Amino acid sequence: AHRIMCIVYLIAFLFSLTSEQCSSKLMEDSSQSFMERMHTGKTSFIYFGNHVNPTIKLFMEQLEMSADALQDYGISVVKVNCSKDAIANYCTGEKLMTKAYLFRGSEVLRSFDIDTVFDVNAIVSHVLFSVLFNEVRYVHTPAELLRVESAAKQNSDIVVGHIPVLGLPEHRALMEAAFVYGTKYQFVQTSGTLVLKHMGVVDLSSSQARLWFLHCKGVSRRSDPCPSTPMRKPLNTINIHTFLQLMEAPLTESVLDPSEVDVVHLHLGVPVLYLFSQPQTQHLDRATAQTLGLQLRGEVGLVLIHRDSPNVKTSLKYNAAYRLPQEDVKYFTLNSAEGVVKLFKEELLQEQKLENEEEDEEHWSDLDILDDEVSESVYRDRDLMLDLESVIELTSDTFQITVTQDDITVVLFYFKWDAVCMAFIQSYIEVADALEGMNGVKLAAVNCGEWTDICSDQNVTSFPTVLIYRPMAAAQLYRGMLGTKSLHRFILLSLGSSPYILSSSAEVMSFMEGDLYSKHMYLTPVRVLGLFSSTHDMGVTSFEEAARLLRGESILGLFAHKEMIHVWTSEVEGLSVNLPALLVSRGPGVPYEVYSLPSSSPTDLVSLIKQVELDRFPELTVENLPWYLELGKPLLLLFIGKEDSTESTKALAEIKQPLSSGQLDSFLPCWIHLGRTPVGRSILEKYLGFVPPLPVLVMSQLKTGEEVFLFPPERPLMAKNILQWIHDVENGQEQPAGLIPDGKWGPPVPFFDFLAIMDQEAPTYAVQRAPKMKTGGREDHRENKHVTPNQKQTPHPSSNPQAPRQHSEL
Amino acid sequence: MHVTICNHEYCVLGAGPAGLQMGYFLSRSQRDYIILERNAGPGSFFQIYPRHRKLISINKIYTGRRNKEFNLRHDWNSLLSDRPSLLFQRISRELYPNADDFPRYLSTFVKELGLKVKYGADIGTIKASDFNGNQGYILTDQNGVSYQCSVLLVSTGLWVPQQVDFLGSDLVEGYESIPTDPEEFKDQAVLILGKGNSAFETAQSILGRASRIHLYSPSPVRLAWQTHYVGDLRAINNELLDTYQLKSLDGLVEGRLEDIAIGKEQLYLTLTELLDQNGNNISKITGQNLPGFHTDNFSLRQPYDRVIRCLGFRFNFSIFDGSARPPQSSGARGRLPGITAWYEGRGTPNMFVLGTAAHSRDYRMSAGGFVHGFRYTVRAVHKILEQRYHNIAWPATKLPISQLQSWILRRVNEASGPYQMFGVLGDIILLRGSYCEYLEEFPLQALPQLSALSGRPLTDQGLLVLVMQYGLNRTDTLGPGRAESEWTKAWRSNFLHPVLYYYNTLPTEKDMRQRPVGWPLPRPEALHHMVEDFLTEWDQPISHSQPLRRFLEHCLQTDLRAFYAESCFLLSLTSRTPPLFCRQGYLRKQGIVGNSHLWQHAREAGLMADHQRDITPGDDTSVSEYLKHAGAAVVSTMNFDL
Repeated sequence: AHRIMCIVYLIAFLFSLTSEQCSSKLMEDSSQSFMERMHTGKTSFIYFGNHVNPTIKLFMEQLEMSADALQDYGISVVKVNCSKDAIANYCTGEKLMTKAYLFRGSEVLRSFDIDTVFDVNAIVSHVLFSVLFNEVRYVHTPAELLRVESAAKQNSDIVVGHIPVLGLPEHRALMEAAFVYGTKYQFVQTSGTLVLKHMGVVDLSSSQARLWFLHCKGVSRRSDPCPSTPMRKPLNTINIHTFLQLMEAPLTESVLDPSEVDVVHLHLGVPVLYLFSQPQTQHLDRATAQTLGLQLRGEVGLVLIHRDSPNVKTSLKYNAAYRLPQEDVKYFTLNSAEGVVKLFKEELLQEQKLENEEEDEEHWSDLDILDDEVSESVYRDRDLMLDLESVIELTSDTFQITVTQDDITVVLFYFKWDAVCMAFIQSYIEVADALEGMNGVKLAAVNCGEWTDICSDQNVTSFPTVLIYRPMAAAQLYRGMLGTKSLHRFILLSLGSSPYILSSSAEVMSFMEGDLYSKHMYLTPVRVLGLFSSTHDMGVTSFEEAARLLRGESILGLFAHKEMIHVWTSEVEGLSVNLPALLVSRGPGVPYEVYSLPSSSPTDLVSLIKQVELDRFPELTVENLPWYLELGKPLLLLFIGKEDSTESTKALAEIKQPLSSGQLDSFLPCWIHLGRTPVGRSILEKYLGFVPPLPVLVMSQLKTGEEVFLFPPERPLMAKNILQWIHDVENGQEQPAGLIPDGKWGPPVPFFDFLAIMDQEAPTYAVQRAPKMKTGGREDHRENKHVTPNQKQTPHPSSNPQAPRQHSEL
Repeated sequence: MHVTICNHEYCVLGAGPAGLQMGYFLSRSQRDYIILERNAGPGSFFQIYPRHRKLISINKIYTGRRNKEFNLRHDWNSLLSDRPSLLFQRISRELYPNADDFPRYLSTFVKELGLKVKYGADIGTIKASDFNGNQGYILTDQNGVSYQCSVLLVSTGLWVPQQVDFLGSDLVEGYESIPTDPEEFKDQAVLILGKGNSAFETAQSILGRASRIHLYSPSPVRLAWQTHYVGDLRAINNELLDTYQLKSLDGLVEGRLEDIAIGKEQLYLTLTELLDQNGNNISKITGQNLPGFHTDNFSLRQPYDRVIRCLGFRFNFSIFDGSARPPQSSGARGRLPGITAWYEGRGTPNMFVLGTAAHSRDYRMSAGGFVHGFRYTVRAVHKILEQRYHNIAWPATKLPISQLQSWILRRVNEASGPYQMFGVLGDIILLRGSYCEYLEEFPLQALPQLSALSGRPLTDQGLLVLVMQYGLNRTDTLGPGRAESEWTKAWRSNFLHPVLYYYNTLPTEKDMRQRPVGWPLPRPEALHHMVEDFLTEWDQPISHSQPLRRFLEHCLQTDLRAFYAESCFLLSLTSRTPPLFCRQGYLRKQGIVGNSHLWQHAREAGLMADHQRDITPGDDTSVSEYLKHAGAAVVSTMNFDL
């Protein structure tokens, strides 16, 4: 309320800093004046002392300087000589000499050690920070920042300053800016690396102060994140001021010629881009200008000039111009908005940018370093001779015979130059080695770089591809993960029948409990049983076909005998079945789940079976995540540590409780074991910015939003608390603890532009011809001058326009 | 005379290699077609030509490779078919085969594929006619039999000897009729008009008998190994260059053919300007009419015993009625019919020109005038026919974008069509967001008409074109610095190398017309040259794959890197849209898992995050454990009960 400032004033103040100080603004109070001061209600910074030593002398000099600075903010700086006026409470005690106080009226806002307010910058920054205590938010974690953001959305923009060390000139600059702009923007100060990371800073080691502008006011939906613009220049008052000015005015409009236009940017030393607008296309032009303005915000000022004004004299052949600081206006013709952004970002602003991004760029733009983890890891193995002994390499001559010989022939189709294929082939060999000597299974491979005819005949268009061949049957596509475990499991499961035809209730019991075919128990504990009243049931064929399609992926049984089913189900406690039905067992001793089996096509049945096989409270692993993400539900994700502590077991049990009552049906409750899935740790770090003590419960919305919520660590992880928390989150009463960024995944490195290089090194080479010339247009020198045939003569130009000498460019 | 009329949807005129090649495609797509041939067997041109019976088309059987497509790059004689055994190497194993072998091969081709050829049908006239509103053609043979054809495919080749009219040109012998026995040239001075392969072939055969051989034509010799045009002088025929440069009485001279005259008694060469103004009477050529009288050291001052014309052949326009006659090509001295970019006669709708006669499209540039080139253009024309007359779109392979790079590498490393027909046929990739459609071997000059010709609709996602090209012209083909190995300088590659063009929108005809000088296509939005490779294997990770990937990333504006399943797991949970590779692989349950050995490499390279910091080795060492147990069918210790 006591800040009535304008920008002009600030600038005046900035200049006054450099000018010679005429008289000191530092006041000295007597008891009398001190008492009066206490009654004015004004803010003052007061030092009480009784003698001067060299340290104090230095401090007094700084105090004197701060008096000038703080006067501009309506804060008086006062010294009291306690040896003359012993003011009660302040001139006594051990704190005398080492403390300074900030008063509002008679109330002490804060006291400072003079070690803290060691110089003018420290004094000004600390005093202003105290005065602005309610306006400038201090945040430690990304979550706190998000809270500020969500409060500011559609309301005001935010200025975030990262000040690693308090009391330095950068801190003062931020505080001074906050004082001036505090009513306009929400200021946020932070010092931790967590927020830095959250803002996308890669190099956390630097202790540089930073500033961002978060455009929260203009977000169209409250769920959208606030776009941010980093300030690229060092943090000082002038730069902050300039930067905020630029944030303000991405676009100005004018009716003057570019050289006449006076915009704030020119005074701020910022390049200006001028675009010309025609009356007919004004809306379009303005939209273009606005988009450009936003893209170049903070780095370039944008002016839209209306052509219809008589003052605009620029030739019509130009539609744009720019002006660099201290230079003249340069005109050019703009072809695309991207072109301009490129021009500025890549050329005109390059110098500035280089300083900032040198380190990052250097690493990635090194053109000959592989930046693909699969390619690089395979490339590092280039000296390794792959031992393909256990894999049969097929040729056009051997292919047909080989794939019909064994019960199962697994064939890998690969390219030698494809890194993914070559990474997978290592796993493939591991599987082949493990299966070596097993009857009825053979692993083979086709190098499609050589045997292209086989690969085309087999309709392989994706690499790597694994096909399973059985005699007298169409090849089956392996659709699982391209890894050792998955493929190995698939092959072993493929060896069994699908479905297993069961003929007695004893067999059914044994099948469901895992005794029968127990050798597959370690592959998957899940058993799915189709129950039909008789083998003539319409559904049986469909089920059998589905089982055939799922061969290798699931263990399926078929039991088609009404009477026996009745006998058997009556023996199992709590089991009632309406035929036809699907029965799912998840392992010995676990109660069966019953699903009705509608008559449907085999492929629909396949999806149904895949769905019922899914765990209701799965442990997420690298291999199974895609099956669960497909459900499209928000995740209720519990992270547990690698030690199987009782806490973890308890937490799992607490979530299971509401699960069985159906209260979590709109979620996918799941968990990650950081021991078995170490990458889970990185996920937590990305979510929260740090790894809290485990277990941790997190809700991530994924498809429906970007927010991540953290179950408050202080609350006990108990069913009712969890439900309450979910309720709170759903009602918007919880603040998100982190955000899932909507990464664009654009090209990871700058483009190597051959055309640009051609234009530079051979200017006419890549240029479209002028309209007049013809396609075949080569000069047709039909010289009439007679040339004597002679072997010494210079070659006669071809009389044939289609037989030019320079034809071999093609 | 009894009038017979036969109706066919397609009439193919001529049972040479191009006609038979088209016959094969028509027969495969089960079209109503007939191949009409005036002689008693296929490929009759090769019964006579080349006169000295040695084919100069390479028949390289041993390539060290078993890739059938790749091997066609070095097999210049075979026609395309789905019979792997129907290759020319079955007939001859010579690198430069005997010409008799070629008609034999063609006969085998006709017989084994059961192609419908009518021999002995000598078509004398071709007339355009209206069939239900569409222009068709009526062909009449020597017996008055008429063939009504909805579509006419002219593959008559070039066989009319090219002649030049000058005083005394009647004294000149033609390549088509000269004796091939060198003894007949014993101690004779021979002037050969022309400097192409037939001229040199003739010269080479008489080199050991003739006293002096001079080759005369307007342009200097163009060496195929310098120009990359197989129609220029091939090294196999160039022995005379040796004897010329080593001063063994042979030589080359440049001058216009129209300017010369040849005297009757002794075959003196003179110049028209030295004849009398009204001196049409050649018998009157005297010493004063000869150049040697005026310039004492005139090169061709000595008389010749023989003058031989080796000037090549021209298209036979004479059988076409005015209503059906295609115009003469603007290039190639008008010897060829003028045709559109999709090989349809200009002004003669539904008549297409195939084979050597269609060479005006790439005359002196590419291989469209030769079997190893036009077998692919014929295939392309057939695809256009299928679309235009049967509404069957150009075959396209639908690929997820994550597979595009390996597909391009596959084509670059094996495809024969774009390799032989460099700069003329190229692969088109229609971008469709998360997937693309891959069209092979489309005639590039017809790109503006892509949609209509291929039946593949265009979207606003843009397209890529893959072309094989020779680079900037160089004069010193064998000099130092001729090879480029730095991929960043790939555009300076002199040897054949793949080039990719990216267009936001389809180029227009105007763009096409105004394309940069020497370019097969207009300036694109983005361009990528894959650096030439000594072994023509474009498959190296740093020099070929990664630059290609980055180019595609730029065009598609997306990250195309591959990620291990673990990285995709992390990215799927921590970003709303994980990278394309994860979306099209991992999230479709086809992630690439890798093993600890590979992850170790990736981590050491700093490309994969190391989460294992404080984790005891668990997961991966257990794989080998796991596999051990697996084989032994031991019940697992793995944790399933939770």
